[in-house]
Amino acid sequence: MTKVTLETAGSVWKVLINVGDFVDIGTTMFILEVMKMEVSYEATKKGEVVAIHIEEGDIVEEDQIAVEIREDES
Amino acid sequence: MSWEKEIQEIEKRKQLALLQGGESAIEKQHLKGRLTVRERITELVDPGSFEEIGLAAGSASRDESGELTNFEPANFLVGFGRVNGRRIVVGGEDFTMKGGSPSAAGLRKSIYAEDLALQFKVPLIRLHEGAGGSVGGSGEKPASLPDPVYAPPRFQSVAKAMATVPVATAALGSVAGLPAGRLVAAHFSVMSKATAQILTAGPAVVARAMGEQKSKEELGGWKVHTKNGTVDNGANDEIACLEEIRKFLSYMPNNIYELAPRLTCEDPVDRKDQILTSIVPRDRRKSFDMRLVINSIVDRASFFEIGTDYGRSQITGLARLNGQPVGIWANNCKFLAGSMTANGANKARRFMELCDLFRLPIVALVDEPGFMIGSQAEKEATIRYGTAAVLTAAMTTVPWASVMIRRSFGVAQAAHYGPGGFVLAWPSAESGPLPVEGGVAVAFQRDIAAAPDPEARRRELETQFAAKQSPFPRSEAFNVHDLINPAETRSELCRWVDRIVPLLPGLLGSAQFHIRP
Repeated sequence: MTKVTLETAGSVWKVLINVGDFVDIGTTMFILEVMKMEVSYEATKKGEVVAIHIEEGDIVEEDQIAVEIREDES
Repeated sequence: MSWEKEIQEIEKRKQLALLQGGESAIEKQHLKGRLTVRERITELVDPGSFEEIGLAAGSASRDESGELTNFEPANFLVGFGRVNGRRIVVGGEDFTMKGGSPSAAGLRKSIYAEDLALQFKVPLIRLHEGAGGSVGGSGEKPASLPDPVYAPPRFQSVAKAMATVPVATAALGSVAGLPAGRLVAAHFSVMSKATAQILTAGPAVVARAMGEQKSKEELGGWKVHTKNGTVDNGANDEIACLEEIRKFLSYMPNNIYELAPRLTCEDPVDRKDQILTSIVPRDRRKSFDMRLVINSIVDRASFFEIGTDYGRSQITGLARLNGQPVGIWANNCKFLAGSMTANGANKARRFMELCDLFRLPIVALVDEPGFMIGSQAEKEATIRYGTAAVLTAAMTTVPWASVMIRRSFGVAQAAHYGPGGFVLAWPSAESGPLPVEGGVAVAFQRDIAAAPDPEARRRELETQFAAKQSPFPRSEAFNVHDLINPAETRSELCRWVDRIVPLLPGLLGSAQFHIRP
């Protein structure tokens, strides 16, 4: 299981994935707004989204777990 | 009568000293995946260049007839060597004896490393693995008299070395107490991710004093110390750490009385990377990769980043422009919009001091939105550390070139421009007291609130003010030296290097350090 943690605090602008989606390396999963700039988070592993812990509009903290991905072994 | 017997004893002592802590201690070290200090030095220096000092220091045991039965060498190695042909002083604890906790002679030799580097005015490299003092004292012999009250402060030579010669250190195993202090007393420090932990005090002491149960790795592994700025860089293993030190030194002079070596450059000075003409998005909310900008401008593959994981909104590192070593300082808009955080400011201040001390010209690639704001930033005393960075820049003596890539706002932007600096602006440059998005919302609060469509009014005002922050009116007022095509940044900076290099010899000698907030 890969846990995607947030590198900085900010607010969640867009969530572009749903639980059950399959993501590829490089798929944009969500976008934070930090200091008026968009910071997008791309998947670094290929696999299934099994949990999303953020919602659009959330104020989030550094190191918070945002998404959990079950890695695709194939 | 000859001295043959004594000569034989000298030889025997040498052979015993080279055995370090003995075969089983060396094997134990290797089983833990770590090199011995002798192997480390061999890997670091040019082949065959190590000239050891003080192999004869240690303690000898004799039998009843007075014959030498054993010789235990001091557990700190020191000597001269060469790195890329240039002489250096290297030292390191020998972990195969007493876990690197200094023996009496070991402590003397370790202190001598700084003295040697200062006397010969050559870079100092320390390879650390060891614990600090032990309550049991050093060695089995009764403790000797402590130092007299009038002895100079122990750390004075450490401080003087840092003010005179480049000091580079590596943490290669567990480093605790005194060696940990010495590790960070450096211009560049690197730790091995595979084998090193850095601990002010180890797990047993922490458990006793604090009741906290933590492993060495949890207390002081690379995940902790590359992020908090204790060390500058993390490298995968010991060999990679030594390679980083060799690389760092390649940009450094031997001492403050000499200039860093300029290399022949094979990368054309007029190379134009067209990618730069569109790398900054027109949409101000979109970020770009500043490291791409840096690598495109400097001599090919010459950028050596320092402190990547600490104060990440700022990027600092060494590079070459037409062969001349320079310091590069840039904002990373992908992290907290590139704003000046407390950590980022500390990192930048230290980097400017490094460049100023060793007369490395500074190139600033500016995309500074201002000091980081919010409750966390206030808790971290951002304004104090940020202002320290601003005042440091104002007091530097080395030449600066500042390229306004995008934003240049607030008090924080002042840290990116040195006295008498050469200032260039890209067409994407915007500058002012604060970015329009925040500034308009505050200054025109009532105006916006009273408008029939406040959102539309806000956008209208923002567009109006954004136009005023464009670089064209600034260039008309000679507020910048020139507006440039981004693709020509490299050639502009290489020409600048040729202009400022003749000024550097006049700057040699002690740096002027002043108290900073």
